[in-house]
Amino acid sequence: MQKKFILNYVIIGMLLVWGAWQLIPTLRYEAMSEERKEELRLKGELERIEERIIRRGLDLQGGMHLVLEVNVARLTQNIAQNKSQTYYEFMNGLEAKYASDPNTDYFDLLQNEADAKQFRLARHFPGRGDQNAQIISSLKNEAADAVIRAEEIIRNRVDQFGVSEPTIQRQGNRRIIVELAGVTDPERATNLIQNTALLEFILLKDAEIVQDAISRIDAVVKKVDPEMLKDTTRVIDSVSDDKTVSIEELFGMSSETEDDSMAIVDEAIYRERPFSALLRNLGSDIGVPSENYYAVRRILEDPDVLRVLPADMRVLWSNKTETLTTQEGQQKAFYRLYFVNREAGLTGGVVTDAKATLGGMDGSNMGQPIVNLSMNSEGAKVWSRMTGANIGKRIAIVLDDKVTIAPSIRGRIPGGRTVIEGLTSINEAKDIEISLKAGALPAPVDIIEKRTIGPSLGSDSIRKGTMSALIGLLLVVLFIVVYYRASGIIAFVTLVLNILFVLSILSLLKATLTLPGIGGLVLTVGMAVDANVLIFERIREELRKGKTVKASVDNGYARALITILDANLTTLIAALVLWQFGTGPIRGFAVVLFWGIIFNFVSGYFISKTILTTITHGKTLQKLSI
Amino acid sequence: MFEIFVNTHYNIVGKRVYAYWISGILITLGLISFIFQGLNYGIDFRGGTLVQLKFEESITAGELRSLLKSPELGTPQIQRSDVNEYMIRVLTIGTGDEIQNIIQNDLKGKTFEIRRAEIVGPKIGEELRRKAIGAIFAALFLILVYISIRFELKFAFGAVAALFHDVIVTLGLFSIFQWEISMPVLAAFLTIVGYSLNDTIVVYDRIRENKLTHKNKTFPDVINLSINQSLSRTIITSLTTFLVVLILVIFGGEVLFGFSIAMLIGVVVGTYSSSFVASPLLIIWEHKFKNKEIVKK
Repeated sequence: MQKKFILNYVIIGMLLVWGAWQLIPTLRYEAMSEERKEELRLKGELERIEERIIRRGLDLQGGMHLVLEVNVARLTQNIAQNKSQTYYEFMNGLEAKYASDPNTDYFDLLQNEADAKQFRLARHFPGRGDQNAQIISSLKNEAADAVIRAEEIIRNRVDQFGVSEPTIQRQGNRRIIVELAGVTDPERATNLIQNTALLEFILLKDAEIVQDAISRIDAVVKKVDPEMLKDTTRVIDSVSDDKTVSIEELFGMSSETEDDSMAIVDEAIYRERPFSALLRNLGSDIGVPSENYYAVRRILEDPDVLRVLPADMRVLWSNKTETLTTQEGQQKAFYRLYFVNREAGLTGGVVTDAKATLGGMDGSNMGQPIVNLSMNSEGAKVWSRMTGANIGKRIAIVLDDKVTIAPSIRGRIPGGRTVIEGLTSINEAKDIEISLKAGALPAPVDIIEKRTIGPSLGSDSIRKGTMSALIGLLLVVLFIVVYYRASGIIAFVTLVLNILFVLSILSLLKATLTLPGIGGLVLTVGMAVDANVLIFERIREELRKGKTVKASVDNGYARALITILDANLTTLIAALVLWQFGTGPIRGFAVVLFWGIIFNFVSGYFISKTILTTITHGKTLQKLSI
Repeated sequence: MFEIFVNTHYNIVGKRVYAYWISGILITLGLISFIFQGLNYGIDFRGGTLVQLKFEESITAGELRSLLKSPELGTPQIQRSDVNEYMIRVLTIGTGDEIQNIIQNDLKGKTFEIRRAEIVGPKIGEELRRKAIGAIFAALFLILVYISIRFELKFAFGAVAALFHDVIVTLGLFSIFQWEISMPVLAAFLTIVGYSLNDTIVVYDRIRENKLTHKNKTFPDVINLSINQSLSRTIITSLTTFLVVLILVIFGGEVLFGFSIAMLIGVVVGTYSSSFVASPLLIIWEHKFKNKEIVKK
């Protein structure tokens, strides 16, 4: 070996040692049995290893990717005060416009609309300045603040949920990205995160007001019939054989309301009161059979219906269905429908603690699941006044516009210490606890993107990805060894090194290997082969011209370098653009492609050149196996 | 030595008219399809819900379609991805999990495993589409700048024209076959941009070199010589990449299908365009903007 290559070999040696050092933890981890992992986890050693392994993307190990956005329109609504008829008119117009063009900025729109209609925001947003512009900039700050708080709260919740290595990051000033690897119950996880929204305590409307509202809706629906109810007719027909009851019974006005009988309405009543016919009596609540859900929702969202409802009324759904037994002994799923005040009696983070437990030996809750709830002094003051003035009425605990539970107020609650009882299971109590405890947000958070990959699909993808990468590699290697013979073996070595180096850098950078990332590895193989082909073809050309082996090799590498450089740098540009633009899996692809190209120079050019020139310079070769 | 396509003297430049015909027809077909049926944007770019379900009992796509009859679902796209495994795409927009719940409700009574569920809001979809178009143009522009620095402006235009050609032909095929345009497919498009350029630049590099060493030849002859000299490398490289991507199409599974098929088309079109489109375009450029002397010289 000649002296001038010693430095090259030292560098190559160091690279190899570094690569091996980076990859050993991953190899050890992959070879470990689950029991061994568990054993190390208990000793606290597993985390140290896990920090140094190549992380798998959600698409390979299963999990959930969520993009959440703070609802600024609702935030603004919640901050506003002195809500008058003109205020509602202005805001309804604004929201209709906002909904029709989702790409405008809400605050820009608010500014434009307020200016155009000469609407003075100062009246409804006191203490934020006099000019509309001042108020809007203050609202913008509030929105940015809400996102930061939402992020903290979501982190808090996710930690309580016990998902390993969650990723929670803010994107821009409205969004939060949550990535939960290997969630076993995605539905429960989403519910918990999504419930990280607005917590409100809202009084239910009295029965007479509710009944009046329902009658008005019936009237509206009847007038626009049949167009509006076209899709719901099917539902009604399918239950028309059921028992007939009067409207009074349906809405709890008769003496029969105490039992939980399912009153199902027939065709005659449907024609008279089409909206009521979709509802069922669940004792003190109004129930909606789950098959009627969309029909009822469509009616409640109709602008004509909204116009006849009192301005201070909101209609909310329960957050889940309940399966109840009908008189006929059938199991049926029901939503509950609540008519509540538009304004919440109490909002935001007044809850200081919540605990799900089983009731103690004293009192009626013995052994029953309950939630104990305490509030800060500010909240307790309002709570005490609110409960004192409304004894016997019901109050809905509302998370993200969905009613968790609507208990009756037994008496004035001073000091904020509250017990929620009448829960069906300790799990329900626990979910209420987590929702209450992690605090509440000034604004609801919408899920605007959600991707869930089951663990079985993840492992399938790994299997398929790795298999195609290996088969691809094998075919390519077979080809170049047949075509370039001994030199092909050098190409093969550099190819394998290239892949190993890319994996090493992934582990060093704590980057994630995604399925497109494996695609990127496959492409890297292609690019690495290209570098070798360019070089070898050049060398062959030089040989054909009758040059010596030594000169041909030197010339071949020198000439090919420019080509490889130009060709690879342009692909590098594409990779950088991808990295800049892409999210999640695509970024995974861009990272692999980027480093694949970099190491293509290192192994495809530098290492291959070092090996081949050492061979040809060592002795005067007459013939080169290429 | 085991060799292919060595010392060839194909008159590729002379036959460039055929290439114009082939490209012209492909682009026209693509554009017609583009106008009449457009592109099949996946939920990534227009918002919607995708669920991939694996059923325990055997079920056909038709049976599945007849079960998914809730009006909220519109006309769901149902695509078989494995034995008793289907991808269901719904493009109507619901809030949160709504559409997924409707699907699960419609399929009550069947036992299945949810292997994948993706919900993309319309806002995100449109944003992604805007960003994606921006990304393609940003990449093309940066590449244009890079080539005009490293070569000459005419090479840059030739290369970018060839890239446009590749992307349009590939998009055209995606439109004709109504394959879904998803995020991975977009990644593949950007890779095609990089890859096809790779090929083009290898040829250009030769032209640059031969222009200096073969001063007595006309420009079209230099180009023809360069294409012939690079032919063996172009074919070998493309063949190996083609093999690798073909394996990905066959074994990569449905998640990577869009990506792999776009890559596969890209490799073929990119190889063709670097020899038959990008280089002949240089001659047109010379004819148009320089006096004919240079061409004849």
